[in-house]
Amino acid sequence: MSFLRLHDVCIDFPIYQGSSRSLRNALLYTSSRGNLARDALDRITVRALNNVSLDVTNGDRLALIGPNGAGKTTLLKVLAGVFEPNQGTFVAAGKVSSLLDTSVGLQADATGRENIILRGMFMGIRPRDMRQMAEEIGEFTELGHYLDMPVRTYSSGMMVRLAFAISTCVPPDILIMDEWLSAGDAHFLDKAQRRTESFVKTSSILVLASHSMGLVEQWCNRAILLHQGQIAAMGPVKEVAAVYHRLVETGNAQPPAEIVAAE
Amino acid sequence: MTSVTQPDQVFSLPDPPSRLSMATADLVEGGRRTWHWMTLAQQDIKLRYRGSVLGPFWQTLTTAVMIAGMGVIYSKLFHQDLHNYLPMLTVGLIFWMFVAGMITEGCGTFTAVQGIIQQVKLPFSLHVYRLVYRNVLTLAHNFVIVPIVLFIFPRPIHWPSLTLLLPGLLLVIINGVWLSIFLGMVSARFRDVPPIVASIVQVAFFMTPVMWPIEALGSNAWWAQFNPLFAMIDVLRSPLLGMPIAPHSWQLLGLMTALGSAATFGFFVRFRARLAFWV
Repeated sequence: MSFLRLHDVCIDFPIYQGSSRSLRNALLYTSSRGNLARDALDRITVRALNNVSLDVTNGDRLALIGPNGAGKTTLLKVLAGVFEPNQGTFVAAGKVSSLLDTSVGLQADATGRENIILRGMFMGIRPRDMRQMAEEIGEFTELGHYLDMPVRTYSSGMMVRLAFAISTCVPPDILIMDEWLSAGDAHFLDKAQRRTESFVKTSSILVLASHSMGLVEQWCNRAILLHQGQIAAMGPVKEVAAVYHRLVETGNAQPPAEIVAAE
Repeated sequence: MTSVTQPDQVFSLPDPPSRLSMATADLVEGGRRTWHWMTLAQQDIKLRYRGSVLGPFWQTLTTAVMIAGMGVIYSKLFHQDLHNYLPMLTVGLIFWMFVAGMITEGCGTFTAVQGIIQQVKLPFSLHVYRLVYRNVLTLAHNFVIVPIVLFIFPRPIHWPSLTLLLPGLLLVIINGVWLSIFLGMVSARFRDVPPIVASIVQVAFFMTPVMWPIEALGSNAWWAQFNPLFAMIDVLRSPLLGMPIAPHSWQLLGLMTALGSAATFGFFVRFRARLAFWV
């Protein structure tokens, strides 16, 4: 039984360089329009997530959608355990595998094969256990001879193949992925989706942030729309995607409440 | 059907663990992943010298050349007999490089692995142990020079005091751990700390009896004895040279270990959760 539960989670980013007035003004007029505030010590903080409550359980394939700067990556990082909330509570049960970035734990000068071992360590898998899985991982990537080349020669799509294959070599209870997945080609995405489906069927959770509605609709069965750090809509993928499109068309000016009220 | 998050969707969650238990768990969890930080540290050293013929022994060679050069010149400058001066310089300098390495690299304990900290949940202490262990490995490579120098310029060997090396090394390592946690966190938050620390370490090198014998201070030797950096060097150097450890070195080192560890632990408990936002 794995789950991810958030209750009134807030994340404030302190902007330490931003104590000057001019920078504050500059920040206030940016298009992403984060929620700026000042904390007790008069530092500028950006509220990246504002009272987010969420319950993700077995078999959920949750999509996070929203405009740039809406807090998608921040929420993923909370779910991955990287950021601890300033306020509110977050509880996770299950083994979390996070693919926020393709390059974690990878050494640019080491070969693909060596990097399988290296990245495995960051997933908590000892090198000797990883060596036994290396062959299968290599096969899944279909990288062939490239596996013996340094990864700095890889294209971003090849990096995605390698990173995805490693991160899913042991079916995780909870898989958290950021939008870079779309760098993979159609053939690989198809293969990756089949693999993900196979372990989501056996009581797992997938959380995926993406701008590609096609990808989201294919992969996910639930979606939340984030807007200015808040959950603006939650529900089946198609409907949330529709709200998102309306949000994009009407511009970001509308506060979240109105968007939802329009439904 | 799109639904808003309704207040009635709110579920009860257990209280999150306290800061204290989270910090303790971090230190313990990191310790359990010994295989991980050991491999990372070994890899750090390998990568530094990747493609070179001597590999990590470049480090040894660099130190050896430095000691030979400094030994000849400074023994003349300080009017010291090379037979006495070179062993003192060799052992002192190698341990100084160990201590100073932990302090200067300690400023980057967390900022140097920013990419990892922001992407994967790992105990923060893992990065600390990796750094300290990497410096222990460098020390081991440099230490090869010590028996060679002591063979050429023999010193009296006092076996009972040699056994003091182990507790001494242990205390210095503990100090390295708290220093790299503390400096690593402060440097992540205030970016001008690393250059400040680097300057202080550089000045301290000349003010600590490493290149020069403490006796050269004559009746003023007592103030060098209250230098915590001297205490760290002294408990490691004197046993190897068959010399008595200075009167206050153990106390000073013990005090520093206790106070430093306690203060750093408190600091870590309070600010650990902020670290991911600082780096």
